[in-house]
Amino acid sequence: MNFGVDFIIGSILLLTFFALAWYCIKGYNLMIGFLVITILWTVLPLGGTMFVSEAFLKANPVLLFGEGTGTTLVSILNRIYQSAPEGWGTTLVNVCWGAWFGRVLMDTGIASTLIRKTVELGGDKPVVTISLLNLVTALIFTSMTGAGPVIAIGVIVLPILMSLGVPKAIAMFTFMGSVAAGIYLNPVNFAQYRAFFIKPSEMPDFTLGWYANHWGYAALIIMLVVTTLLAMLYLNRSKSHRQWAAQTRTPQASQKDAPIYTLILPVVPVILNIAFNFSVIGGFIIAGFAALFLCGRMSGTFRENCQLVNKLYYEGVVDTAPLVGFLLTLPMFNEVAKYASPYFNVVVGGIMPTSELVVCAVFAALLFMGLFRGPMTLVGCGAATLGVLSNVAKFSVPFLYGVFAIPTITVNIGCCITQSWVAWGLAYTKVESRDFLKLSIPNAYATGILQYAAVYLFLTGFGAAWMVG
Amino acid sequence: MDWQYIRQKLRPIADGLFGKQRISRYEKPHYKVRELDYMLAKLVKIPALEWRNYAFSREILNGKFNDSQRLEWARKSIECGTLYANKLIQEYNTSDSDELARALGLKVSYPQYPEKTDRVLFADFVMPDKINIFMDAIYRAERLLQKHAIKRVLTGKLNPAKLILAHEIFHFIEDKYKQEIFTKTEKIRLWSLGFLHNDSGIYALGEIAAMSFAEKLCDLPYSPYVMDVFLVYDYSPEDASGLYEEIMTLTGLEP
Repeated sequence: MNFGVDFIIGSILLLTFFALAWYCIKGYNLMIGFLVITILWTVLPLGGTMFVSEAFLKANPVLLFGEGTGTTLVSILNRIYQSAPEGWGTTLVNVCWGAWFGRVLMDTGIASTLIRKTVELGGDKPVVTISLLNLVTALIFTSMTGAGPVIAIGVIVLPILMSLGVPKAIAMFTFMGSVAAGIYLNPVNFAQYRAFFIKPSEMPDFTLGWYANHWGYAALIIMLVVTTLLAMLYLNRSKSHRQWAAQTRTPQASQKDAPIYTLILPVVPVILNIAFNFSVIGGFIIAGFAALFLCGRMSGTFRENCQLVNKLYYEGVVDTAPLVGFLLTLPMFNEVAKYASPYFNVVVGGIMPTSELVVCAVFAALLFMGLFRGPMTLVGCGAATLGVLSNVAKFSVPFLYGVFAIPTITVNIGCCITQSWVAWGLAYTKVESRDFLKLSIPNAYATGILQYAAVYLFLTGFGAAWMVG
Repeated sequence: MDWQYIRQKLRPIADGLFGKQRISRYEKPHYKVRELDYMLAKLVKIPALEWRNYAFSREILNGKFNDSQRLEWARKSIECGTLYANKLIQEYNTSDSDELARALGLKVSYPQYPEKTDRVLFADFVMPDKINIFMDAIYRAERLLQKHAIKRVLTGKLNPAKLILAHEIFHFIEDKYKQEIFTKTEKIRLWSLGFLHNDSGIYALGEIAAMSFAEKLCDLPYSPYVMDVFLVYDYSPEDASGLYEEIMTLTGLEP
């Protein structure tokens, strides 16, 4: 093995990667963590070019800059700190409109009516009601996302489940699992995670419709079915509860029913996007304004109506604000990972899996590392793992998307207590973290393993057109 | 300016730089805060049957019912609760909840369970025979009961722990006599499709009957539903005022 400067720098970079993993697991601020690591990964690889061998530089032209190379140091820095986050702006507007649409569904009472009508079909049979509620929750979260909407639906669903005698930990686990199932087809989340792999303008064929047809539907159905079956199993083992609790009514719970025909609106943007590749924002605007008009929320004066639309937009953007800083720092990190990858290749290139089957098997075994913002989840230290993996081996974008979506959505969003709305749910239902994790970790593994099998079946063997870069 | 104050002021900056991720919190609705004795004085005057709209507002199938159904069911549930209270008092020759729980072979525990959110849990019946009475709420209630103005309204007959236990005993009784008791045998057809149909029980009936059972057993001159406001007050006067406002609105009275 070569123990030259490139190896030493590669080893230091690897240490910083583990330091970042520790930082994320400890629950510290992700935005600052990634900003610091971006700076380190800029200084070490680019500064290191002054000390590494000529042969190493020749083998890795990405590291060449200066006279005669056509690239300047400033242009590299501009790419990292300016172009990369600017490019993510196109994704951010989807996030903002999606958040507005989520607020519209809550304000018009469509989301709460959908839940109430579902419960009225199931009645006092917990198994039937849980199955129906899981299905409807997943459908709702194909278009709504963010802590605000999850909390707004949670304050309706969780007391209903608990009043049916479902133990609170099971109620929490099944609700959070079905939210995550819906996220698999959510166009806003899709755009967000897609931006981890490629720029929004790259690979135009990799659309939500393509992704849904190849793997997205399967991922959603697997998570929904496994969560529901596990909830039934847990319910079968547990004893029924009856609680006396006093609770102030939430505005959502006391909302009037929305007209029945408006209950289809939550899935309209997703259907339009998947079926006709219609613009996501266009879908949100059509369905959002249809909801506001059909539910009688636009019956005020022009000025009042404008204020309402504006208020909902403001509230929606506030819902997503905590993530925006982190997500706008990530593109810098994704860009800088390109310059760090030659050094990583020296240290871990030999041990990183290059076969799709091995990647699926290893990631399935290491699913627990998606918990606590660990090195598998994209909304945690997984972004760094992706940077390493995608640069030391050649994999297709759809394959990598599937590989990283599972620890991100199934494990982090659906099963981890560091997810903002799971943390809220634990405080709201007073479920102990360990009681929730006892139920959610088996779900993460059962769902995740089946989803990796689906990744291997449906997202492997793509040609050069689907490769990164 | 002390160190605590400086730390408090610096905390958002430190949080932003090195601190933990901020967790989204659900923002509770806000209400006008009222004096407890004022609210209780109004609530104890509400007759048992008039609590039905509040009881049904927590019922998951409420959207399927009309007013006359609610009235009829509430009346029968109250009768049911009173009937079983009398039956048990006669059978076991006691109206003391603790003695009754022992005679029925119930396992009662009294965990201290601090409450932090707007949902205050008083007790939990775990089928088939376990009851948890959460003492945090009870201790707070007992402290409030030491105030003369509160005691005068709620009377010396109120023992919060015994009252809550009595309520939970009814759920045990309900389960024990599920083949014959009104609150379990009454069903509503939710839907039918040819020979397929789904008949469901109504949870609110059990709650109304449990309140009437506890009222009879503890010989209270008012509905135990009053506890929803009373036991929440010490946690949050605003949430208790919100519940009070809702109850008054649902019973058609001026808050």
